[in-house]
Amino acid sequence: MQDEDQVGRDGFAFEGNWREYAPIAFTNLLLTIVTLGIYRFWATTRSRRYFWENTRFIDDHLEWTGKGFELFLGFVMALVLIGGPVLFLNFGVQALILHGHPLFAMLTALFAFLLLFYMVGLARFRAVRYRLGRTWWHGIRGGSEDSGLRYGVSYVWKTFVGSFLLGLLVPWSMMSLWNERWNAMSFGPHRFEAAGDYRNVFKRFLLFYLFPILVLIGSFVFGAVMVAMQSGAPQGEAPDPDSLVSQLAFVGMAIGIYAALGLIALAYYAKFFREAVDELSLADLNFHFYARTKDWVMLILVDILLVIGTLGIGAIFLDYRHWKFFITNLGATGSIDTDALTQSTTSLARHGEGLLDALDVGAF
Amino acid sequence: MEDFLLWHYDGKSATRRSVVPQTRDGGFVLADPESDWIGDPVAWSDLVVIRQQRGHSAYGHRDRPGWRIGFTGDAPPEFAALLPKNEHYGKWVDKIGLWPAVGTFATLAVVAIFVLFQSPQWLAPLVPQSWENNLGDAMIGDFGNRYCRTPESAAALQALVREIDPKGEARQVEIANIPMVNAITLPGGHILLFDGLVQAADSPDELAGVLGHELGHVRHRDSMAGLLRQIGVGLFLGGFGGEAGNTLSNLVTLSYGRKAEAAADGVAIERLEAADISPKATADFFAKLARKEGSNARVMSFLSSHPVSDDRRRRFETSVVAGRAYRSALTNEQWQAVRNACRDDPNVASPIRWVS
Repeated sequence: MQDEDQVGRDGFAFEGNWREYAPIAFTNLLLTIVTLGIYRFWATTRSRRYFWENTRFIDDHLEWTGKGFELFLGFVMALVLIGGPVLFLNFGVQALILHGHPLFAMLTALFAFLLLFYMVGLARFRAVRYRLGRTWWHGIRGGSEDSGLRYGVSYVWKTFVGSFLLGLLVPWSMMSLWNERWNAMSFGPHRFEAAGDYRNVFKRFLLFYLFPILVLIGSFVFGAVMVAMQSGAPQGEAPDPDSLVSQLAFVGMAIGIYAALGLIALAYYAKFFREAVDELSLADLNFHFYARTKDWVMLILVDILLVIGTLGIGAIFLDYRHWKFFITNLGATGSIDTDALTQSTTSLARHGEGLLDALDVGAF
Repeated sequence: MEDFLLWHYDGKSATRRSVVPQTRDGGFVLADPESDWIGDPVAWSDLVVIRQQRGHSAYGHRDRPGWRIGFTGDAPPEFAALLPKNEHYGKWVDKIGLWPAVGTFATLAVVAIFVLFQSPQWLAPLVPQSWENNLGDAMIGDFGNRYCRTPESAAALQALVREIDPKGEARQVEIANIPMVNAITLPGGHILLFDGLVQAADSPDELAGVLGHELGHVRHRDSMAGLLRQIGVGLFLGGFGGEAGNTLSNLVTLSYGRKAEAAADGVAIERLEAADISPKATADFFAKLARKEGSNARVMSFLSSHPVSDDRRRRFETSVVAGRAYRSALTNEQWQAVRNACRDDPNVASPIRWVS
């Protein structure tokens, strides 16, 4: 966390600093605890207001006009719309098992799962729509005419198909869902156009398939080293499998495997996000995203150190760090005609991203 | 205020204007000094704060989406005095101040948690017994044909039930084909003694003690309270969201609570006493469980949710009246019939591993 204003490239800049944000973060935490979590909707709103009003695009700042109450309302709606059926299905499945109908129980559970999955897709769409609808620049806001109901269906089947062929279709599934989502969004009178091409991220995705081979080679080398070490031990002394060295080596290898998997996931996501945002445009504006794998790695590493180093309290700054990362790496080229940027005619939902909040998925 | 320059968006297009405010009755109009443009009148009371930060101020209009005015630095005093105040923590908190609000919320939170944990016990007796019966029957049905019954075992079990539950408070007592050392009471007065428990018991007196305990749960409607708690906690912890909520809710609903278990033990002792059956066997059973607790890490709800076995053992042991001539809960033939119920019932469905 640096103090100086960080000017992003091509028009976007983040002008906040963490010391100014700290009183917001700490009072949010305090109020969230004493209200048993209910305040978190207002806390989110306060944080976003700060992030948005410290984000400059060309000559003016963004505005967040979302309200804590509408997030709360959305959450209550989600609780009733999802919580009710889930509770009912839960008891239904229990009853079916007790009655000795495991097949029906499984079918009911499958149905519940599909329904929940659909809701996740719908929630993702609604989250982007809600956020655009509450984001203003030059007195103009974004939104979408689409309810996202069809997107929910796409989300279910495209994610399902994505798992075919050992997951080889995942890049296609992710990119086509991104495009479908953003092509339905608008700002002012203009539609977003998303034309990300999954073929450009496919090579990165293949790293995942290289991984088992790397592990194989790694364990082979590991075994060879262990054998060499033991044969180097003085004669007559039995090699001790419980020695500290070999235990450390095993722990190190386990951590190494997780770290390598995380690294591959980050490398893929970095490429995916660059491709997706680079192919996103709005009228004559083209968006760009500059963060490379090492930037993402640094973001996550510092996140981890921050949270561990403060025994968890640092977690309240993660949103700040992520927003700053997003804005400082975001750029736009082209031109914008403010006279032609007229008010959005999309309808505004009166409730916030309740579905999203209840299911705990991110918007991007 | 003639030289107080504001920037302005009208909310219809993104075009930025430089304007000066001209005060009118209860409000002002905006005018562009370099052209004839004049905006619609605005009342002071229609203004809302959009931004007040680091010398940048922006205000919106209650009824005109996107309508904005703003300035850098300080507004002239006569203008500033009429501008609305910024909201900090939200309306309610701002009204009473941060610290009083924290105190109030913390107090309310403690009360809410207390009510949440206590209310199932208060509410369960208010649920009509017939509702509970219908709910329990609908949930359980024939338990997937996993009740072990032979003519001999059914008669023997009935004899035991007559002794322990002469008033017929439990609506159904069955041996369930589940190889776990456990017994459960389900809503609607259904008591299931698992076959694993029957096999682990050294004498029918032990089984009588467990039956008496479960009868206590029926009498106190603990399973109904448990069900209410499951619903309540599920709804409430939804507020925290995510995985932590689920884990917590499972932990909380796993047991009826130690108080309820101790109360059920009280009923067991009372029923054993009335039936003239020695509590000694039940005490020994707990001694066995206590040894298992030390060595065996298998998680069984009967073990994990009940009061520490050793304390319970002591309670049953002290209730033994020295010198009294107790009778056996079942004859040897009856006891064998109960033990062989699952083995000898040709129609029972195969055992299931019960995951509660």
